[in-house]
Amino acid sequence: MQENDSPRRDARSCRSPHWYLEPRPTDSGTATSSATPSGHHPSEPGLTFRRLRKVLVANRGEIAVRVVRALRELDIASVVIFSTADRRELPVLLADEAYEIGPPPSSESYLRAAAIVDLARRVGADGIHPGYGFLSENADFAARCEAAGITFIGPSSRAIAAMGSKTESRRLMLEAGVPVVPGGTEALADHDAATVAAAELGYPVMLKAAAGGGGKGMRMVQREADLASAFRATTSEALASFGDGAVYVEKYVERPRHVEIQVLGDHHGNVVSLGERECSLQRRHQKVVEEAPSVAVDSSLRRRMGDAAVRAAAAVAYTGAGTVEFLLASDGQFFFLEMNTRLQVEHPVTELVTGIDLVVAQIRVAEGEPLPPEVQGVEPRGHAVEVRLYAEDPYRNFAPSPGRIELLRLPEGPGVRNDCGVLQGSEVTIHYDPMLAKLIVWGEDRPQALRRLRRALGELRIEGIRTTAPLFLDLLEDEDFLAGRLDIGMLDRKLQSGDWPPRRTAGEPGTPSLDSDLSLIAAAICHVQRAGRSRGAPEAAQSARRRWHAAARGEALRKPV
Amino acid sequence: MELVVRSADREVRIAVEPLGDGRARVLLRPAGGGEHEARELLVEYRFAHGTISFLVDGRQYELATSERGSEAGATRYWVHDGRRVEEVEVLEPLAYLARRETRQRGGGGTRRVTAYMPGRVVQVLVSEGTRVEAGQGVLVLEAMKMENEIAAEHAGVVTRVLVASGQAVEGGDPLFELSTESAL
Repeated sequence: MQENDSPRRDARSCRSPHWYLEPRPTDSGTATSSATPSGHHPSEPGLTFRRLRKVLVANRGEIAVRVVRALRELDIASVVIFSTADRRELPVLLADEAYEIGPPPSSESYLRAAAIVDLARRVGADGIHPGYGFLSENADFAARCEAAGITFIGPSSRAIAAMGSKTESRRLMLEAGVPVVPGGTEALADHDAATVAAAELGYPVMLKAAAGGGGKGMRMVQREADLASAFRATTSEALASFGDGAVYVEKYVERPRHVEIQVLGDHHGNVVSLGERECSLQRRHQKVVEEAPSVAVDSSLRRRMGDAAVRAAAAVAYTGAGTVEFLLASDGQFFFLEMNTRLQVEHPVTELVTGIDLVVAQIRVAEGEPLPPEVQGVEPRGHAVEVRLYAEDPYRNFAPSPGRIELLRLPEGPGVRNDCGVLQGSEVTIHYDPMLAKLIVWGEDRPQALRRLRRALGELRIEGIRTTAPLFLDLLEDEDFLAGRLDIGMLDRKLQSGDWPPRRTAGEPGTPSLDSDLSLIAAAICHVQRAGRSRGAPEAAQSARRRWHAAARGEALRKPV
Repeated sequence: MELVVRSADREVRIAVEPLGDGRARVLLRPAGGGEHEARELLVEYRFAHGTISFLVDGRQYELATSERGSEAGATRYWVHDGRRVEEVEVLEPLAYLARRETRQRGGGGTRRVTAYMPGRVVQVLVSEGTRVEAGQGVLVLEAMKMENEIAAEHAGVVTRVLVASGQAVEGGDPLFELSTESAL
């Protein structure tokens, strides 16, 4: 274990309360999972730690804002990079320093690994936080930071590389005793090899791209007759999307949940589990709603999944915040899916039920601090739910909806948190992921959290573009969702059924209903008002002028001249 | 002036008579209906901070309108009631008459459908002269790294296809022409 004499890492700072964004839970039950595996050398040889003074945030949007906020609270100077499309956006406005990194396309801006590391060195940043997406799981980028003597706020490049390959990570997990979905870990040579492997597992099976992730490059195969075409399609898709055509096969788990474990590791051999997140509500394998805890996980299952996740992370000497994703079958069996070696989009739900500030934790770990002892044994307190607000029309096949945000009014009040990356007036462009913001609520239990979510969504106003907010309001009236009956295909099945969401009946048929006519009336009034304005005699302006004159007269009468 | 206001599933005539001080008398008439079906409403409204707040018999409704473009006397709005966004078209009387006349002449109006954002045409699903149902896909446009099917908004005939697969398009570029059915 490397030590230096930074005053930050004395016993007092180890128990620094600043790891927490909320009062921490008092419960320190037995549901903890932690590991100090013998024989594993946690720290990279030669790695030295130092207190970070200036950190470059290699990202944009809400996650850049989230990281800048943490840096500001820690008195660490923040540096952001921006493409020309983002000059006026929130990360730039909140940061201490900001530098243009290129034109709007990501490949010419936020993905320019060498330029970003060079910039960090030039401006004297001693750390880089990658956020999620972009370069966050790029082992070469992490290695480049390491080589440049800049602290990469995340795991080692070796851990990223090991978990980045599906076949490699499966092999590692088998060695570490982490349950994986039955199947081959080897890339299949050809269609014949696939036929043999699939027959051994029994149908249905899943074909997956070895270099894939995020739900791309996988295909379910019901029977042998479909295998040949599915193998061809998956291989060519893998080659096109990931530049690597390697494909493997595994058993298909029917209607599983997606439950993931947040882990935290330090450079002193400690890895702990911070409990699970339920992320089964997905559209085409992309998460839509996340919550913590999961209704399907009790203390005992939480401990078992946590133990497995800790073993998974320890197998690659994981440091910082990471997520081990599992498929949870209806019988309580769970299988390793993949490990995300970065902060997750949905990290706030864990923050709200554990009280731990995960971004601060990442930074402290990167500075060499050991995990504070109390983070072990965290049981979730209350219930948190996050919805992802995308610039997409949920009822037009999630068509992107770029444009100017004419009005932005975020909900406030008890138990509501907004992680928002846009401003009123922001232009949502086609260049980046269309996620605008995350709305996260906390409640004492799930029903209260959901009622609060409904209340908050009712306050939310985003005008000028379409968003996914209507989808969440409909989900909050859906019996399956309310009861927590979730699996990873549930939302897709509902959306494809054609009769979901159920049509709202606006009053009795035949009788005119004000609610349904009011939107037509609003358009008409808006139209008349606009026409009036363009004729130069706006009614509102006139009455304002009248009021102003009246006020002026009143003033004149009161004031002795 | 009586406006014709239509959404996906309704069409009404609305006359707004401003009474000053944020109040208006609204006369509503079903599109095909006679005077006896007309309803009169007194509404109080205020343009709040980017939305419109209505008071009707003490009940408060907050709606937001967003103008989405206009063409020959027909203006399209998105109206958001806090729950759903409805696409509403407001037609000035002359525009409405002109449109009805074209339809009555039997030629059927032809609408030019344009790309709503820059992207690339991945696939054209129909050929010129194909009769399509409302909601039927006409072509696939890739934008924002996603493939989106551009569907016919109403039943009709695709009279012209103005793009080829693989072609890059800018927002507003014409994609195809869709004629309406000749029946009114």
